[in-house]
Amino acid sequence: MKKNNRQAYLFIAPFVIVFLTFNIYPIFLTLYYSLTNYSGMGGIDQADFVGFNNYVRLFSDRYFYQAFFNTIRIWGLNFVVQMLIALGLALLFSDIRLKLKGIGLFRALFYLPNIITIASVALLFSILLDWNHGGLNQMMLSLGLIDRPINWLNSPVYAQSAVALIGAWMWFGNSFIVLLAGISGISKDFYEAALIDGATWLQSFKYITIPQLKPILLYVLITSIIGGLQIFDLPMLLTDGNGSPQGALNTMVLYLYNQAFKYNNFGYAATIAYGLFFITVAFSAITFRTMYRKQV
Amino acid sequence: MLKRVFQFAVVVLGVFMLTACSEDEPDLIVTSFTDELQAPIDYFEELHDVKVDLQIIPTENYVNTLRPALESGSGAPDVFTGEIVYLKDWIEQDYWENLSQAPYNVDEWRSDYMEYVWDLGINSSGEVRAVSWQTTPGGIYYRRSIANEVLGTDDPQAIGELFSTMEGLMEVGEQMKASNYRLFPDEGSISPYTNGANPQPWVNDNDELVITDERLAYFDYAKELRDMQYTALAPAWSPAWYASFTGPISYNVGWDELDEDEDPSDQTEVFAVSLPTWGLHSVLKEEAQETAGDWAVTNGPTPYFQGGTWIGMYKDSENKDLAFEFIKMLVNDQEFLTDWVMETGDVLSYYPVMEGVAAGYSDEFLGGQNHYDFFIERAEEIDASTVTRYDQQIDELFGNQVSAYVEGNLTREEAIDEFYSQVVNAYPQITVPD
Repeated sequence: MKKNNRQAYLFIAPFVIVFLTFNIYPIFLTLYYSLTNYSGMGGIDQADFVGFNNYVRLFSDRYFYQAFFNTIRIWGLNFVVQMLIALGLALLFSDIRLKLKGIGLFRALFYLPNIITIASVALLFSILLDWNHGGLNQMMLSLGLIDRPINWLNSPVYAQSAVALIGAWMWFGNSFIVLLAGISGISKDFYEAALIDGATWLQSFKYITIPQLKPILLYVLITSIIGGLQIFDLPMLLTDGNGSPQGALNTMVLYLYNQAFKYNNFGYAATIAYGLFFITVAFSAITFRTMYRKQV
Repeated sequence: MLKRVFQFAVVVLGVFMLTACSEDEPDLIVTSFTDELQAPIDYFEELHDVKVDLQIIPTENYVNTLRPALESGSGAPDVFTGEIVYLKDWIEQDYWENLSQAPYNVDEWRSDYMEYVWDLGINSSGEVRAVSWQTTPGGIYYRRSIANEVLGTDDPQAIGELFSTMEGLMEVGEQMKASNYRLFPDEGSISPYTNGANPQPWVNDNDELVITDERLAYFDYAKELRDMQYTALAPAWSPAWYASFTGPISYNVGWDELDEDEDPSDQTEVFAVSLPTWGLHSVLKEEAQETAGDWAVTNGPTPYFQGGTWIGMYKDSENKDLAFEFIKMLVNDQEFLTDWVMETGDVLSYYPVMEGVAAGYSDEFLGGQNHYDFFIERAEEIDASTVTRYDQQIDELFGNQVSAYVEGNLTREEAIDEFYSQVVNAYPQITVPD
């Protein structure tokens, strides 16, 4: 019995070692960094211990708040649009009355934007959205929709919407697949029974699909929150990487990155990382509680 | 049985790792952010019968990839390059070897080099940590055919005369506009000349942000360029910017109500662009072959420089002798550098070669102009004492606020206040004007 145990430890050792070295150790090291003014250069021993100064600064840092609200706004719009499209399509493709064909093809097509490298997506859209020479403005001008070009990436509202919608375009296919799988998992008996009982489409959606889909929706929501709060690549690449226009694309992780790698404030960047961590935990906890409130 | 299999696997893995390590170790490892050192390395390998590995890390990742290696010493190269952007930071760290000490004694070379290039490699203790073979002064490249048509001459001297003041630039802008040309692709083309009018460092020795009227004039000149429609709205490094060097680009901003009698054409052609020496080879000759021979280069209102690569050896390198030989060849070998110039057209900071090459040179891309003469003259006017470690980032923050003002998103005062607050956010130790 005892021997078996020892072998078990041996088997989990690789994972534990990797986990301790690459997850736990950095987490605590980051905590330590966040209490110093480490510049990222010349070794941590040259940094001064500053206690909770960085955390005090974080609470009064308007750029951090700006980054927080930008991130929420971009994620919010992205999530709403993405879910509307994904859920709508998933319902359409799973409807027992419609029996749509070619689902395999569409699943692949919808997922396609997700496998393009973000760098390519950002380049593509920065060319499309270019003010004076971009395809979108040229098209809208020639269709007579606008009479002067709109400087998309220079307006905070348009720039944030652009990031949110590009994100939605990239991710709706992924949510679609997950939701479709969830809906397919709901027993057809429910719908057939509802049909016989004369339930409308809306009623079966409200009283069968949504409650049955709850765990899947929760999964999609939480992964989306965690991913959405960490949005970095598109805002970084779509404009100048500083959050232009006027800080509208300054997201939390972009802010962290710039503080660490552009301005060499590693200590403060570590503090931002902890701020981000607590925000993510709080959001996930709130989501979890709201979704399961009634059942408890 | 299972134990045997496991032991066997470990032995196989060990043998594999050992062979992987011992495979053909290079004698020297050089790290840089472009492949431009490949040719010198090939030459060096043949000369000394050694094997040199060039590791290229893309510019965007260069600092973040290389710095941990330099800090920890594991995986650090023997020789590595650095850009002006972080040069000031790096020479103060213990990354590069002190080349002033014996047996290198590079201070003896000093008089052969352009002063500003040499000085930038010296740290605050007076030690040379990095050296450079090139110099990167800037100028204004312009299209000869357009100059002839609009200004009646394409002579660099005469055009330089017109460009020698900001007012002169604006005047040319007006003339260009009247013929449906644009002076510059974007407003950024004038930024080097605003601080140049009264060169001051961004941050002084007391960690104070230095703001001069000349610096702030960038707001007004940029606004003027935009409002008067002297630019083609093609931001630097955008596809439209590259396209502007070869022919007409689209220009349909729909400003009609601003200017009733504007040429209705929705195309315009760009006359000139501010670029440093390397812009000729890595931008114009690469992207504007269609207009080859139609270009010339002249001065703007003030001298400036942009970019530049410095090189040094890692302080704990185990191959210091060979590493120094390589650096010496790259920056101090007359024969090699003469070939290098002929090959690449680079403008060198090393006088013994430049003096020979510059005499009687003519570049076909520039319609036969001798740009070496021009750039060497410009380089000598450069003062490197205003370079600080903050330049790249603060320039970027400043430029962003200027464009927010030019776009009409912020007033001038709001933009300046926002700039101050961003500087403090990035560098809490810096004090800004009230």
